[in-house]
Amino acid sequence: MRVARFMHTCWRAALLPVGLILAAQVAATATQLESDTLASPADIARALAAILTDGSLARATLDTLKAAAAGCALGVGLGSFIGILLGLFRIADDLLDLTIELLRPVPVVALIPVTMMLLGFGAQMEIVIITIGMLWPSVVLARAAVKEVEPRLMEVSRVMQLGFAARLVKIVLPAILPQLFMSLKLAAGYALVVAVTVEITANPQGLGYGIMMAQQALRPAEMFAYLLWIGAVGWLLSLLLNATQRRLFPAHGRGEPR
Amino acid sequence: MNRLSFRKLALGVLTLVLFILGWKLVTDARLISPIFFPGPERTYAALVKGLSGGPLLAQTVETVERMLYGWLLASAVGVLLGALIGISRRARAFIAPTLELLRPLPASAMIPVAIAFLGFSDQMVLVVIAFGALWPMLLATIHGFAAMEPRLYEVSAVLGLSRFQVIWKLALPSAMPMILASLRLGLTISLVLAVVGEMLASRAGLGQSILAASRSFRSADLFAGIVILGAIGLCGSRLLSMAERRLLRWQAVHR
Amino acid sequence: MSVSRLSPSVSRPHEEQASPAVQSRIGIRDVTLSYGALQIIGGISLDIAPGETVSIIGPSGCGKTTLLRMLAGLARPTTGEIVLDGQPVSGPSRSVAIVFQDYGKALLPWRTAAGNVSLALEARGCPARERPEIIRDLLAKIGLSRHADKYPSEMSGGMQQRLQIARCLAQEPKVLLMDEPFGALDAMTRQALQDEVLALTAATGATMVFVTHDLEEAIYLGDRIVCLQPNPGRIGRIVDVRLPKPRDQLLTREDPEFLRLRRDLYDLIKDDHQ
Repeated sequence: MRVARFMHTCWRAALLPVGLILAAQVAATATQLESDTLASPADIARALAAILTDGSLARATLDTLKAAAAGCALGVGLGSFIGILLGLFRIADDLLDLTIELLRPVPVVALIPVTMMLLGFGAQMEIVIITIGMLWPSVVLARAAVKEVEPRLMEVSRVMQLGFAARLVKIVLPAILPQLFMSLKLAAGYALVVAVTVEITANPQGLGYGIMMAQQALRPAEMFAYLLWIGAVGWLLSLLLNATQRRLFPAHGRGEPR
Repeated sequence: MNRLSFRKLALGVLTLVLFILGWKLVTDARLISPIFFPGPERTYAALVKGLSGGPLLAQTVETVERMLYGWLLASAVGVLLGALIGISRRARAFIAPTLELLRPLPASAMIPVAIAFLGFSDQMVLVVIAFGALWPMLLATIHGFAAMEPRLYEVSAVLGLSRFQVIWKLALPSAMPMILASLRLGLTISLVLAVVGEMLASRAGLGQSILAASRSFRSADLFAGIVILGAIGLCGSRLLSMAERRLLRWQAVHR
Repeated sequence: MSVSRLSPSVSRPHEEQASPAVQSRIGIRDVTLSYGALQIIGGISLDIAPGETVSIIGPSGCGKTTLLRMLAGLARPTTGEIVLDGQPVSGPSRSVAIVFQDYGKALLPWRTAAGNVSLALEARGCPARERPEIIRDLLAKIGLSRHADKYPSEMSGGMQQRLQIARCLAQEPKVLLMDEPFGALDAMTRQALQDEVLALTAATGATMVFVTHDLEEAIYLGDRIVCLQPNPGRIGRIVDVRLPKPRDQLLTREDPEFLRLRRDLYDLIKDDHQ
């Protein structure tokens, strides 16, 4: 009965995308589509197979994921550390809050020209931009998490006269670990977005550059193949991180906004 | 931000002053070539010059307009479509999974597709902004409707409310916290995509302006542009938080 | 269960069903409810007269709340039917109001007390200019005059439940259904609300069906008490309450009849629990 129910859900979920793809294919076949902007699903599938086999897609994916992972790790690491400090010490929070609030709204893409000028093109500038992009959200989430740690636990640590390092490692970090992972999860998805954006706008490498080049070369099938692939990578990433979160913190993440 | 205490404000300003001072020291000591990295005075001078008679003011207006149009379009379509899908359990079952599938797709990846259809035009930028900002609002509205307290559906049945009344008086207000949060996110996305669109399509605005400044090594103009972009982002999110606090008064007292 | 222990005022169900149902406000006719193979309600018949207050008690899982939801039209019987003034109930209607136990979920958190009452008036198409006066009257009746502009989150549990009752009264219902409405409130608030509800039903002549797990509450409020038995839910006993009205928290509860009823019902319920 459960299987039947599952099949029922799947069927309803799959109807729309499958229907759209079929409709597109029928329309393309019927009109004998030849276009610089559109491509039939079958052509897109062929183009995807082509870039999959010649290795260009793998290379581009690796470039993008490497930059995103490095930027994400740096940004979330640094941001969480600052956030924890701000959460623990009110004086630090009071000192830095205004500056952070003023720096935070600067759209991260505005840094593309600066880093281009300072660092030129390449993985380095991309990583710097992603790092800065991940920094502020991580600061805010980590600070909020620390401030929500059960005050009783903090009192316990004070009564036991734990040093700063011990307090951090034994009380604070374990308490906010679920939130930190959630922060990482959100950042990972966002890092991919920023990476692709930087590549489309400026940096000649990775998936963003690939899709841009396909468009410039008027190869719509390849362009849509890239789009499909980028979507799939993003989707798989979120699937993987959600599964990891459920595994590591089964009690957490049920009520969180999706 | 809630009411700033004096201590907090004083300490905050102190750090800000130190930050600018440090920036000045770094540039005065020429740790980084001034061609690439202007000091605070030069940035300020470029800001004043650009805003009084210079092109910066017009570019700011261009970018803000672009951002707002795209955002408004996305908000209207997102909330309306979200309400239509969200109110019906059946529509949710058929449509929501596809939307969830599309959600992780970076909005910027749609730029090449938009260029293919619309060329390097203002419409292309607008479509990209609207498309990117649409997702959070669409999904927030759907989820907000789905998360409505089931008891309230029963209350509406017993009171005999019409379908329109249920949407307008129950579902929409109960989804309001989620929708408002997504409006803020949508505005941030709109600004980012406005800048990216201007850079790529060379449409008038701050995005194109800072890119041009960096190509000709006018670093002071570049920094002035970034400062204004930050200010736009700050004002936008502040205005929306104010609206949020007003509209969600019923919730604030809850805590 | 030994019959000898039961007093004359405790009548058997079949005797009750034999009474003429012509004038009844609510008629429950051989109602059953099943989810798949699981039978929740197994054949209940009951007539409730206009203006009567019926308390429903029984162990958890006996289908008290389910029965009430069917009376409200929120659930449909699998077989049998429910009639209101001779008309079969096919869905919720404004003439039947229901007060839920979880008042926190049933109120609109984004509307003030006045706004919540207003919802019922809006639903029945009451013109906007007439609403303020009706709202004022209703809030005064239930003792919330000074809190008209407060949001539910600013009110105590007792006040929120009062508000839900006020909203139900704004429906001008013929039947008021109460689903363990005071279960989550403290003892003092509970007693105050019991008296208010009795006064309100006496004043409006509304018929009330009151589901509770509290024996004393059932006796104090009811003209009759229906004891349900579980697996599947069915009527075990129907008990007439012959206590003088209006009731009084101290005098009524000290009345020998009250104490006797409580002991009888306690034994009855206890047997069901075993």
